[in-house]
Amino acid sequence: MSAIADTPAAARPRRRKPIDGWRWAGRGFLVLMLLYTAVPMIWMLLTSIKSGFAAMQFPPQWWPSEPTLASYQKLLDPQNSVGQDFLRFFWNSLFVSSVTTVLSVAVAVPAAYAFSRFHFPGRRFLFFSVLLRNMFPAVIFLVPLFILMRFLGLVNTHGSLILTYMTFGLPLAIWLLKGFYDNIPIQLEQAARIDGATRFRAFLVIVMPLSMPGIIATAIYSFIGAWNEYIYAYTFLTRNDQLTLPVGIQRFFSENTTDFPGLMAASFMMSVPVVVLFLVLQRYFVRALTEGAVKH
Amino acid sequence: MTTVTGEAGAPRRTPAARSGVLRQAWINRTDYLYVLPALVVMLIVIAYPIYYTIDLSFFKTPPGLQLKDKVFIGLENYTAILTSEVFWRVTLNTIIWTLASTVVSFVFGLGSALALHRDFIGRGVLRAILIIPWVISAVAASYIWKWIYHSDFGVIGAVLVELGLLSRPPNFIDSVNTVLPSLIVVNVWREFPFAMIMLMAGLQTVPDQLLRAAQVDGASAWQRFWHVTFPHLRSVSTVTVLLLAVANFNSFIIPWIMTGGGPSNASHIWITHIYELAFGRQRWGVAAAYSVLLFIILMTLGYFYVRALSRGERKEAEG
Repeated sequence: MSAIADTPAAARPRRRKPIDGWRWAGRGFLVLMLLYTAVPMIWMLLTSIKSGFAAMQFPPQWWPSEPTLASYQKLLDPQNSVGQDFLRFFWNSLFVSSVTTVLSVAVAVPAAYAFSRFHFPGRRFLFFSVLLRNMFPAVIFLVPLFILMRFLGLVNTHGSLILTYMTFGLPLAIWLLKGFYDNIPIQLEQAARIDGATRFRAFLVIVMPLSMPGIIATAIYSFIGAWNEYIYAYTFLTRNDQLTLPVGIQRFFSENTTDFPGLMAASFMMSVPVVVLFLVLQRYFVRALTEGAVKH
Repeated sequence: MTTVTGEAGAPRRTPAARSGVLRQAWINRTDYLYVLPALVVMLIVIAYPIYYTIDLSFFKTPPGLQLKDKVFIGLENYTAILTSEVFWRVTLNTIIWTLASTVVSFVFGLGSALALHRDFIGRGVLRAILIIPWVISAVAASYIWKWIYHSDFGVIGAVLVELGLLSRPPNFIDSVNTVLPSLIVVNVWREFPFAMIMLMAGLQTVPDQLLRAAQVDGASAWQRFWHVTFPHLRSVSTVTVLLLAVANFNSFIIPWIMTGGGPSNASHIWITHIYELAFGRQRWGVAAAYSVLLFIILMTLGYFYVRALSRGERKEAEG
């Protein structure tokens, strides 16, 4: 603070110029970031509408000379074996991600509420041990979990993935939601309880609706995490009809693939659901981060 | 440093002082029911694997998962790791990967967040576009960039050749020298939006009046950033950097799909190496010992993570 107060008044007339400089630097930086971000995605789209032959040219066709939707037709055609697989993987991903999302929210909401409101002994310890889950990579859990899933009879079922995915989502979900509950005045609940509501009812009627943005954000986070997960699906599932998209895609474009248009089309199709979901609901997500994570 | 918190934290029940912990626990017994489901899931999927991994790291294991035939060998797995050359190579890679990815992602995220903080036409659209790489799957990202880096038909190589900068397309991910930086570019592409979102949220907590007051006092843009904005971003920056560091340290998909750790281990990081030891070469005991070393490193990082978070907690509790 003191440095600002010390700034000599003589500096004032020159003030305008450096501000504009910074502003233009900011704009320039944004343009660069936009190129960095968007060019790979545009190239993916452009490649996906080329034929296999057109993609393998040097110098490349910067713009496809004969754009074709053949790759997409192949992926979405239930008569074709590739299409059959793709649609099945898509459905598997959707199923696993949706169930994971619902269960994660159902588990995270009461936990976050308890961490925010109650003062049972061990509360802080439990809270941080839940957060610590974020620290550990999937790989070190693979072998023991595989053995555990075998013991539970869940290998090659979607249940193994759902149970595992819930645990990635939970720490951040609980943390975000706790921030939300911290900001809801407890008097609201107390008023409801004076009116005769049980604690659970007060929670359901007063707190839940107010924390909806946090719940939506949590749901998006779980869904995207589950949709994109790779390692566990890669390890726990071996039956072809069970695979989820990230793993399945790899199976039908083998290591020496030349079908890059097909691969790009599949990557695009795999990204569409999560991108759309995120863009539609992003304001909740940003708001949840602001209120949940950052205000601490 | 005085903290400028917007409003006082929500009033809460103060725990009854001076009563025994057990009595407290009994009085509040129904409270545990709310946390129980989360704890049970976490316990099954976390505590058991940790115990199991530590145990396995002291055994010589046969290939396959016939783990009944394992033989106790004490610390031999650990000495084998620490004396192997690959270990040091992979460790160096991991340090470069984690540091470079974290620093660059944070700087890009901070720059974008600051530049996007001011309102202008198209700001919302731009923000949305910049976030997309973070949302799409790392698998898709890996394939997109694998195609971009393709040694014959890759678009970057083609641009460089067309501009006359090179006579033939370079090998980005097939060459020992360029593979790691090339993969870091992909990783940053996916990660900087996360830093951007966190810091954008953090910027909203910077009081406008302070910035305006500083401006009236004649502070330059840099001075306003350094003396007003940045101190307010300190705690969110700490959390962001830690989360980025942990995520980068734990990354798997990008190196695994793009190069599988090659060429000649040049892009193997700890996690991909452990995966290969376990599932590729079925050396479960060694992989478990690696994992335990990893735990130790992560717990050290975790200590700082929890400290950063609980500082926020405490501040809030005092508020």
